[in-house]
Amino acid sequence: MGQYHLGLSTSGHDPALAIVDETGRVVFAESTERFVQDKRAWGIAPDHVTHLESALAAIGFDPEKDSLQVATSWKHVKADVPLQLSNVLLPSSDGLWLRELQSAAQSGAGATLLRLGLASVMPDIRRFDHHLCHAVSATVFAPASDAACLVIDGEGEVGAVSLFDLRDRRIKRRWRSWGPGSLGTFYAWLTTLCGFDWRLGEEWKVMGLAAFGHPKAELQQTLASVLRVENGRLRFADESVLTTAHETLRRFARAEGAPVLQAADLAASGQAVFADLTDQILTSCFEGAGGTLILSGGCALNSSYNGTIVGRTGFDRVFVPPAPADDGNAIGAAVLSWMQSTGELRIPVSDGSAYLGSSPAPKAVARLSHLRGLGRVRDISGDSAGQIARQLAAGKIIGVMRGRAEFGPRALGNRSILADPRGQDMKDRINRDVKGREPYRPFAPVIADDKVSEWFERPQPSPYMSVTLPWRVAARARVPAVVHEDGTGRLQTVSQTSAPWLHDLTKAFGSMTGVPIILNTSFNVMGKPIVHSVEDALAVFATSGLDSVLIDDHLIEKRDA
Amino acid sequence: MKERRMSQSIEEQVLAFAIEQIKIRTKAADMEITAESVLTDLGLQSIEAVLLSGEIEDKFQVEIDPADIFAHDTLGSFVREISERLKA
Repeated sequence: MGQYHLGLSTSGHDPALAIVDETGRVVFAESTERFVQDKRAWGIAPDHVTHLESALAAIGFDPEKDSLQVATSWKHVKADVPLQLSNVLLPSSDGLWLRELQSAAQSGAGATLLRLGLASVMPDIRRFDHHLCHAVSATVFAPASDAACLVIDGEGEVGAVSLFDLRDRRIKRRWRSWGPGSLGTFYAWLTTLCGFDWRLGEEWKVMGLAAFGHPKAELQQTLASVLRVENGRLRFADESVLTTAHETLRRFARAEGAPVLQAADLAASGQAVFADLTDQILTSCFEGAGGTLILSGGCALNSSYNGTIVGRTGFDRVFVPPAPADDGNAIGAAVLSWMQSTGELRIPVSDGSAYLGSSPAPKAVARLSHLRGLGRVRDISGDSAGQIARQLAAGKIIGVMRGRAEFGPRALGNRSILADPRGQDMKDRINRDVKGREPYRPFAPVIADDKVSEWFERPQPSPYMSVTLPWRVAARARVPAVVHEDGTGRLQTVSQTSAPWLHDLTKAFGSMTGVPIILNTSFNVMGKPIVHSVEDALAVFATSGLDSVLIDDHLIEKRDA
Repeated sequence: MKERRMSQSIEEQVLAFAIEQIKIRTKAADMEITAESVLTDLGLQSIEAVLLSGEIEDKFQVEIDPADIFAHDTLGSFVREISERLKA
């Protein structure tokens, strides 16, 4: 009989579930959006019935012998605190909407156990502090004994920044920011001013767009006027200052339908202010950290900033987990529940693998050989890395669905679209013919960790694609499809241990071309989550400019490709 | 007896700090604030009440929930609850 711990991300947005076994090991973690194929899965229960059912089947959960303890990623219901929401930077209706969704997620958590016959009455739920969940989830992926663990996001239980001390892997909060000062809200506001929609998660577009612009002093000054940092805590300025700033910046805001590059300077200015404010927060974190920073919360997805921390701020090691935003909190809740049950005070450290989600369904994979109407189907087991490397070198764009899905927003090779980074036109081909997204959007490079220093300045590990680094000048012309406008790349580093197939692929591609780098972008089309089922993958294959798709070791090629 | 003096001392410290913070936030330095003061009469907006909780948490290193302050009618009642936690 085993006791499992089911962690649920109950923010109301980006729901996810994670399961920890009785040894403290994370055995499954997956965002709901993947399963339901609805971006961000707003308002959908993190223990969605069929999703949880499939997760339990994947881990071999036996209802007759095993038990499940449910834990949530929030301690409180936000709506219980009678706060009046500001309407200046973002519509207060959005804030109210988020509160309602969080309330529903908190109250409904665990009800699925009734439906699945795992409980006869509503189960007892363990509820954990939101930022503590962020911190613990991040620490699971950080092989460090001592560190400063900083959480920066849109909103926590009382504010949007918390600092934890990790000592001998025991975690204790040092301080937290109270009130509405929030870098997450700041970036959401910036996203809106740039003509994008934060509710669609379009902060990415702002970060990418920033590389095309230049920070302007006037814009920076106005943007910076809305937030100040006091001993690491964030404080929004008075309502009148916020109103003045908003009115001033509205003149620079990009109207719907206007050219995207019109907002480039605004994006660059906002990114610069974000960096400056985060730098100020970091100055309150050094003490006792031994130079090691664990960074989490939604703001830790700012890879442009993350890449600047080491060597400049006093931290010489930075760990960012594969899922620093609210979906990742499912792991934190599950691990905290395990720690409560066992009395363990030290946070377990994982093997670092982010491949914690579903595998392609065996029955669906077995049917592939009968689907010849879709294209040529071949089993390439034994030399799949070599064969895919040859196809990539020949200019093919290939969707890959192998093994367990990655947990977190990044495709790390198991649910990825791969291509040759050397071609001048490859970026346009993928943006236009496959992803259907804006032409300025950058793509990421995959590189073996022992090759990073040859190609990048300030070399450092980036196993979860959470760091952006400058390419060496001489390298840029060799891989134009993965060099962003400002000469940087958001790299994924791989090793034989962390991602053996992808490592073999970069090696094989390097032997053929002299460039041991692969272009990697998520296996989806714009506006949709990364593919989940074999059928999702085939639908993208059939309806986009993909030349081939690799599902486990089955390669399906378009006949005219 | 010693324990009682100690608990009074903590309660007094928390109360004095809370009063000081309320005066800063309401910009009413000359307002008379006592343990019997009704929280809703002090002119604190809800956000300021939350920020006051944060200041007390920082100063006295005590875990406070944001909803705590709204569960009390008087400042003294809120301060007593915090003081009890500090003694525990």
